[in-house]
Amino acid sequence: MEMYRQVFLLDRERMVTAMSTKMKRTGFILACLIPGLALFSLFRIYPTLQIFHKSFFMWSAIGDEPKFIGFKNFVDMFQDEVFLLSLRNTGILMLIVPVLTLAIALINASILSKSKLRESGFYRTVFFFPSILSFVVIAILWSFIYHPSIGFLNASMELIGLDEFVMPWLGHEKTVLWALAVTMVWQAAGYYMVMYIAGIDGISPEYYEAASLDGASRIQQFFSITIPMLWEIIRVTIIFIINGVISISFILVSIMTAGGPNRHSEVAITYLYGQAFKNGNFGYAMAIGVVVFIISLLLALLSNRLTEREAS
Amino acid sequence: MKRSWLTVIAVVFVVSSVLAGCSGNNVNNGGNASPEPSGSPETTASADPTGGGKTFENMELEVAVFQGGYGREYWDAVADSFMKDYPGTKINITASPQIAELLRPKIVAGNPPDFIYLPQGGDNQPIIDGFIKDNGLLELNDVFESQGENGTPIADSILPGVLESKAMSPNGDGKVLFAPYNYGVMGMWYNKNLFDTKGITLPKTWDEFFALNSVAKENGRALFTYQGLHPGYLEEIIIPAIFNVGGKEALDQFFNYDPEFWKSETFKKVFGLFEKIANEDNALMNGTVALNHTQSQTDFLMGKSMFIPNGSWFEDEMKDAPREDGFQFGFLGVPSFDAGKPVMALTSVELFMIPAKAKNPELAKEFLKYLYTEKSVKLNGEKAKAVMAVKGAPDLVKEYISATTYEIFKAVDGGMEALNGAFKTPAQGSKFNPGDEVYQPLSSIMNKQMTLEEYGDKLYEVYTNIQKEYQ
Repeated sequence: MEMYRQVFLLDRERMVTAMSTKMKRTGFILACLIPGLALFSLFRIYPTLQIFHKSFFMWSAIGDEPKFIGFKNFVDMFQDEVFLLSLRNTGILMLIVPVLTLAIALINASILSKSKLRESGFYRTVFFFPSILSFVVIAILWSFIYHPSIGFLNASMELIGLDEFVMPWLGHEKTVLWALAVTMVWQAAGYYMVMYIAGIDGISPEYYEAASLDGASRIQQFFSITIPMLWEIIRVTIIFIINGVISISFILVSIMTAGGPNRHSEVAITYLYGQAFKNGNFGYAMAIGVVVFIISLLLALLSNRLTEREAS
Repeated sequence: MKRSWLTVIAVVFVVSSVLAGCSGNNVNNGGNASPEPSGSPETTASADPTGGGKTFENMELEVAVFQGGYGREYWDAVADSFMKDYPGTKINITASPQIAELLRPKIVAGNPPDFIYLPQGGDNQPIIDGFIKDNGLLELNDVFESQGENGTPIADSILPGVLESKAMSPNGDGKVLFAPYNYGVMGMWYNKNLFDTKGITLPKTWDEFFALNSVAKENGRALFTYQGLHPGYLEEIIIPAIFNVGGKEALDQFFNYDPEFWKSETFKKVFGLFEKIANEDNALMNGTVALNHTQSQTDFLMGKSMFIPNGSWFEDEMKDAPREDGFQFGFLGVPSFDAGKPVMALTSVELFMIPAKAKNPELAKEFLKYLYTEKSVKLNGEKAKAVMAVKGAPDLVKEYISATTYEIFKAVDGGMEALNGAFKTPAQGSKFNPGDEVYQPLSSIMNKQMTLEEYGDKLYEVYTNIQKEYQ
């Protein structure tokens, strides 16, 4: 009997200790999470909610009280020619830049990791180099490359006898977006190339060996082994670069073209900035921010959905 | 176990109190002597708190100034000098090229500095417009009615017409809300050396101007260039030209959004200039539209173009830029359409203001008066190489500014017609930025992608819409 009780007590004790250990552990995890969560909510979630909230107001952010105007900002927006033009320009960039960047990055990555080039280390460094430069430096660099009279591009075109095609690339309505897109591709391709190289290195070489024994060419290997095996990485990079285009285009446009000529290179975010800080129109600017947010979210979801189907 | 819990709590507490410290500092930085988070703060303490002179309830003054082409040396020097003459006072100066961004949160929080200097335009304009719309400024009439150092009201020493202008008394009710600081003169520039050595006469009319195209070609340069990416610089030609053709009436139509302006003869004549420049061979420098202000100005200095519009800051702005041999700055102004009328120039005045919510308005007004003393005007010439909008200022600072700059200001003093003006502030919440709407499409005219009629029609619509927003 005495023994029995002893055992029973021991059991209960063990249960109590187990429970309190579990509680302590939960408490500890919470304590670790709370500072991060608090900061994240304060500096990320709260401002985002504020943007949604303030987009329903007319507000100059100087001294006046925000005035509630419902959906007027959003209605105005779709009658605002400049906004629509800037949205179109953003759209064109979001179409050209990801496709070119990812294609170039993939091809370079597979050439560099699959061929036995002796200089591949050198090329890897050179291609990656633009990624460590600041965007501002890149913008200034390229605005001199495109400089109409002393620029590298026009000078070398003249050198090889293409005089008639020389033009002020950043100054013409028809070329300015392409000029910006080339800069963006140059900047980003190296970065994604390094990501893909890491992915390709993770693919077992046996696949390639087997394929080449079966007589598959390099190009067949690229499409049948490299791309399918990298698919998950490619999906992630698509979302990265869509967001990248939105934010990088702001810096490049601000420095290289100021939205010109006649707003043909204005992108949504530069227009947002102009409305907020040059026109004192914060409510309207935040409404633009909301639309850009929704569009990029939709694009991310869409690309995720589309690529998922192909993967399965 | 209990112990480790305490450690965690202690760590969390420490972390959060550090963070609270940060945020508290950010919200509160308008407070007494707390240093600004950015914008190169400088706190200068007075060494002699006992001396005589006037005393004020509050001896401390917060001054926020735009740090642009004129630098901040003048402000440090004049603050030192003021603190010497008014012992016991203490002036804290915050200077930054992004002063508008630093000011905005303070103004929103109802905690503005006591004294502000801002140039018009750019990022600063919303702050200026916001102050006007919200009646956020102290009326300054009493400062200008009070006696200056030579016994006459300060108003008498300011350049004629400035205090009454729309820039200084924006509501047109006689209340002076802004006080004038430096004034600038804008118009077209040329290489004086080239004109002197080749014996070219300066164009007094637009016909003579276009006739110089062949001379320009002989000398291996285009006739004209401008700050391509920033077509707003063309206002330095447009505003005087509108006044020249249509007088004050047309200029009012232009600035106050009368859509009929875009159907008038004045419009066709003035903006026709740019169509002519775009279409005539050799008139517009190659690639101009793609150049930013520094690039186009450098090309001008290198002798690739005969004329360029810019302001009196030009020489100082480009002091480190390369130039062709013997280059000398020459200021033309803006030619006229008829032989009889004088060459013109656009002027602009930079602004001082005292917010209505300033903590120390008394001392701020005293400081403002001090800025108009001869000592301060000279100091401004020495440190900022600038000319204040005060009678006789060019002669006071002659030794500090270049001969060219002196000539320009004397020319305006002596008969060149000087003009001043700005767009009416659009309705609250307007999405139109009038400067952008009017000047941006000029790039397309220069690229021959848009005709004058298309431009006029577009602006007619824009002006109609801006008018609608006032209702």
